[in-house]
Amino acid sequence: MEDEQDRVAALLRSMPPPDARGDFVARVNARIDATAGWLVLADFRTWTLRLAPAACVLALIAILWRTPATPAPVAAATMFSPASSTDWQKDVSGDALLDAALTPNGEQGAR
Amino acid sequence: MDPDRELVEAAAAGSRDAFDELVRRHQAAMLTLARVLTEGRADADDLAQEIFVRAWRSLRGFRGESTFRTWLHRVAINVVRSSQVREGRLNRLFVRRSAREEDAFDPPAVDEPVDAALARRDAIDRALASLPDELRVPVTLRDVQGLEYKEIAALLNVPIGTVESRIFRARERLKPLLEPLWKTNRTA
Repeated sequence: MEDEQDRVAALLRSMPPPDARGDFVARVNARIDATAGWLVLADFRTWTLRLAPAACVLALIAILWRTPATPAPVAAATMFSPASSTDWQKDVSGDALLDAALTPNGEQGAR
Repeated sequence: MDPDRELVEAAAAGSRDAFDELVRRHQAAMLTLARVLTEGRADADDLAQEIFVRAWRSLRGFRGESTFRTWLHRVAINVVRSSQVREGRLNRLFVRRSAREEDAFDPPAVDEPVDAALARRDAIDRALASLPDELRVPVTLRDVQGLEYKEIAALLNVPIGTVESRIFRARERLKPLLEPLWKTNRTA
């Protein structure tokens, strides 16, 4: 049994190698060169390095052009009357709602 | 000690000459492997080239934990498997397997070969092609490519005992198919 196993192994080992075409190495090199162009495009490191100057310029512009933050204008609907049905339909700020809830009715009209 | 170590280091550093030498050293093994794994398909040469292209791209990731030869076999198996996935399982199951059944092993006639080496290679190719993948791959890696059991187990990600048993079963199935070749060997 072992002999037969060895015989099969020996026969397989004696398998003649396929004839490689003489230009095999050249064809491998041609394929490497052909794919290299695509790989450069796919390589994020190349992208990030090439885009770094443009990204710096954009960041600089953004910093220089940045205007100081101005306080938001007071909303028109700051005065809110819980009794008014139209006021409920308006866009009312949270501050106005809180103010209306905390202020007694008499004072609301006086303001 | 890896006999390819210096060349691998030079190639990883970008030397195309060193890589060319590695291709020359291993091209026959990769062609044989591609032929066997693809069951003698015509595009084996194309796949062998693709193995080296992939190896060149991944060479920097090679850490020398195995020999370059073993690592290259891993690349080869991955390339062939990717190609098989691309082709589609349906195509493999229905078209190629039925073709294989029709083309059942046909032992070579003893007085047939003008080119005996070519005929022998063809006969062994066909005998191997008649095996299922799980037997063909390990027996090829062991008996045709000369890898160690340990290396094969690592490559195929199976226990070494599984590799041994698959190789044993593969040889048992190959025995009657290769019988005519023993006869020619004996008469020659």
